[in-house]
Amino acid sequence: MNYFLRKMGFYVVALWAALTLNFAIPRLLPGNPVDILLAKLQQRGGTVTPETREAYALLLGGDDSQPLWNQYVDYLNNLVHGDLGVSVSYYPAQVTDVIAQSLPWTVVLVGIATVMAAVLGVTLGAFVGWKPGTWLDSLIPATTLLAAVPYFWLALILAYVLARVLGWFPLQGGYDVVLDPGWNAEFILSAIHYGALPALTIVLASVGGWLLGMRNMMVSTLSEDYVLTAEAKGLSPRTVLRSYASRNAMLPSVAGFAISLGFVVSGSVITEQVFSYPGIGGRLLGAVTNNDYALMQGLFLVITLAVLGANLVVDLLYGLIDPRTRARS
Amino acid sequence: MFLRTGIRRRGAVLAGVAALGLALAACSGGGSAGSSGGSGGGADSTLVAYTGQAGDYQINFNPFSPSKIGGLGTIYEPLFFYNKAEVRDPVPLLGTEQVWNDDGTELSVTLREGVTWSDGESFTAKDVEFTFTLLKDNPSINSGGFDGTAKAVDDTHVTFTFEQPAFVKGPDVMNTPIVPEHLWKDINPVEDVIENPVGTGAYLLDSFKPQAFTYKANPDYWGGEPAVTNIRFLSLSGNQAGADAIAAGTVDWQTGPIPDIQNTHQNFPSYDAYTQWQNQMVLSTCSSAEMGCTGPQTDPAVRKALYYAMDRTQLNKLAFMETANEMSPVFTLTPSQDEFVSDAVTEKTAPMTADPDKAAQLLEDAGWAKGSDGIYAKDGEKLTLTVEVVTGWTDYITALDTMASQAKAAGIDLQTAQSSWNEWTEKKGSGKFELAIDSLWQGPAPDPFYLYNYFFDSGSGAKVGKSAGNNYSRYSNPEVDKALDELAKLPLDDAAARQPYFDTIQEQILEDMPYVPILTGGTTSVWNTAKFSGWPSDDDLYAFPAVWSAMDAAEIFKKIQPAG
Repeated sequence: MNYFLRKMGFYVVALWAALTLNFAIPRLLPGNPVDILLAKLQQRGGTVTPETREAYALLLGGDDSQPLWNQYVDYLNNLVHGDLGVSVSYYPAQVTDVIAQSLPWTVVLVGIATVMAAVLGVTLGAFVGWKPGTWLDSLIPATTLLAAVPYFWLALILAYVLARVLGWFPLQGGYDVVLDPGWNAEFILSAIHYGALPALTIVLASVGGWLLGMRNMMVSTLSEDYVLTAEAKGLSPRTVLRSYASRNAMLPSVAGFAISLGFVVSGSVITEQVFSYPGIGGRLLGAVTNNDYALMQGLFLVITLAVLGANLVVDLLYGLIDPRTRARS
Repeated sequence: MFLRTGIRRRGAVLAGVAALGLALAACSGGGSAGSSGGSGGGADSTLVAYTGQAGDYQINFNPFSPSKIGGLGTIYEPLFFYNKAEVRDPVPLLGTEQVWNDDGTELSVTLREGVTWSDGESFTAKDVEFTFTLLKDNPSINSGGFDGTAKAVDDTHVTFTFEQPAFVKGPDVMNTPIVPEHLWKDINPVEDVIENPVGTGAYLLDSFKPQAFTYKANPDYWGGEPAVTNIRFLSLSGNQAGADAIAAGTVDWQTGPIPDIQNTHQNFPSYDAYTQWQNQMVLSTCSSAEMGCTGPQTDPAVRKALYYAMDRTQLNKLAFMETANEMSPVFTLTPSQDEFVSDAVTEKTAPMTADPDKAAQLLEDAGWAKGSDGIYAKDGEKLTLTVEVVTGWTDYITALDTMASQAKAAGIDLQTAQSSWNEWTEKKGSGKFELAIDSLWQGPAPDPFYLYNYFFDSGSGAKVGKSAGNNYSRYSNPEVDKALDELAKLPLDDAAARQPYFDTIQEQILEDMPYVPILTGGTTSVWNTAKFSGWPSDDDLYAFPAVWSAMDAAEIFKKIQPAG
């Protein structure tokens, strides 16, 4: 029990530190939201007069007049009540609404792609590692090459070949916008059709890392004494592969998987840009370019919570699946 | 320039790549094998437009909100439409006639009869009075700075009264979208996002999704139901995605650059590109030493030397894909506003070729002397200037690189400093810059008064360190201020009385040149000419062709016809 309490205590401190950084960092950015809103308005063909500036300063509130300390206390207080404030760039929408609208797209697309990449990579890695030195090893340079190519480049090439030239997938968007989003077969099929290409790029770009990690762990596990013992006992190669080697070799991958799940929320900025896919990445980019502090904080908070949460779960799980980590030295 | 925000910063990395893709697509016979993407729905009279919206839409059809996503012109109509592309009479919409009294304190507007709101109620002068009272009572949405009083005389007549002569405020008043009193009197006009907009316009909101929203034609529109029955606005990730959508044939109208723009029609036979020129690109200077500016650019001779050092033909070719146009040194749009140019201005447009001798002459007359390194210096201070530009604005960066070598030939050392957009905006606002490459914009009516008033009036400047308004070059000239005050008291159509003041302003700003003219930047629309006809052209430039310019786009939507 003590182990869990210690862990929880650590996470509370980590959370507080993250929240405080989250508050501070956006405020270190240059510029202010009114200027940026005006510049955007002007670019959309609006006329910006001195009166416009006054009106928007009034509209967005004189947040700067309050001392930083008061802003910080208000921020923590509002967080406790689940109030993330009003987004400046989508005024008067609540930050929570903006995030809620985008989050599902990202979680589903990047979530599924991450799970697929991990499962595929670890499984392939186990087999490649089982027979090192054979032709299977050529999978390693092939997949790491895909991982080494800058992601946006890989995505653009695939988009060009598969969507533009071959026309197998739509080039842009999350679904056919003629349809109404909802739980109906037509929409879901359309969403799958539109999501397949972005998901494919994510899987291709990340499968190499999983494969390499698993394969190397597999090779070193195979030289352990207990594997030798298992083989000496005359167990079938399948059982040795599955129950002795893979299970032990997989431990680092489990930790890695949890961390990458945490980054699902944030890891989609480029995917969403290349494929014009709806989701949180585009919002994050928009929030930063518009100095939309409230939205930035909200998004960073979601990302922080996701990473911390995933780590917590893994830490706790690890205590269960690997008793060594629980031992007090 | 158009929608620089999202486009360029990412464009820096992606543009080249996608350009390659587009070029290849073009070579393979424009093989737009892609699916129909957004333009499904059967009927060809659905026009799919892309405004440059980066990322998803958040519903907001409040015409007074800065974060509105649509509705201006299409759903909510103003009293008159001002065509910024040409000097023309305003087009009557909800108003049919406007008359000022002689001293410019009272404006009488006759309203169109028989107009109904899309919920069936009739539109009356009360709605107009309500709209303007609403703006005045809520300073945070009064972005046009309306400070008069609107009064309904009877159902079809409204008068606006002002304490001061307010001729120049007329276009802003006439451009204000009118909202229905019977619905708006019960809502919070600042925070309500108006999910079900009710207006008098030619279109109604059909459906909204964060990825797209669709208008449908208003069958009861006073001008008759428009021929284009549906308009869909897509959200994509930026202008690069917009260019890709054109190549794939999924968007019918977008305003933004695409690769190889001169040959759009050859590359994509269904499309055509059309360019108009409104944004005057300049090297803005922190011009006034009195206001706290430091650096060689506070000397007008240096600014004018830069003006003559530029080879604009080369700049246009290397940096702007030849989409830019000549520019008047006195900031009138050329050729549409040539009638405002003073007779005393001998060069009607900025020279297209470099004149290093003239630049040298100007500098030497002002006491600068050429050093052994070929760069001028004065009192031990070298003529080195830093130009601020935003990272990723590739055309401006290329322009500055080109300009640096041109300036060097004239003995001026030009350095480029790249920074993020936020930082660039901050530097301009606080005055902590020497030069910045930027563009100046037009006012609500095709009249140079507005540009002069925005950028040359000391009222919107500030000391260095304080946040300045539009006049961030901190130009301050009592004669210009006085002329602007006088112009504000004159009717916009009284050319004879106004010209002497324009002459004064032009003479002064040509002498001081706080913004060094480069070229007039082009705004290019790419539109589907196979599906729709009647787009604006040189023969009939009835609106400024930019899909993001809502009032202009509304006029275009009403005018175009589905082909076949």
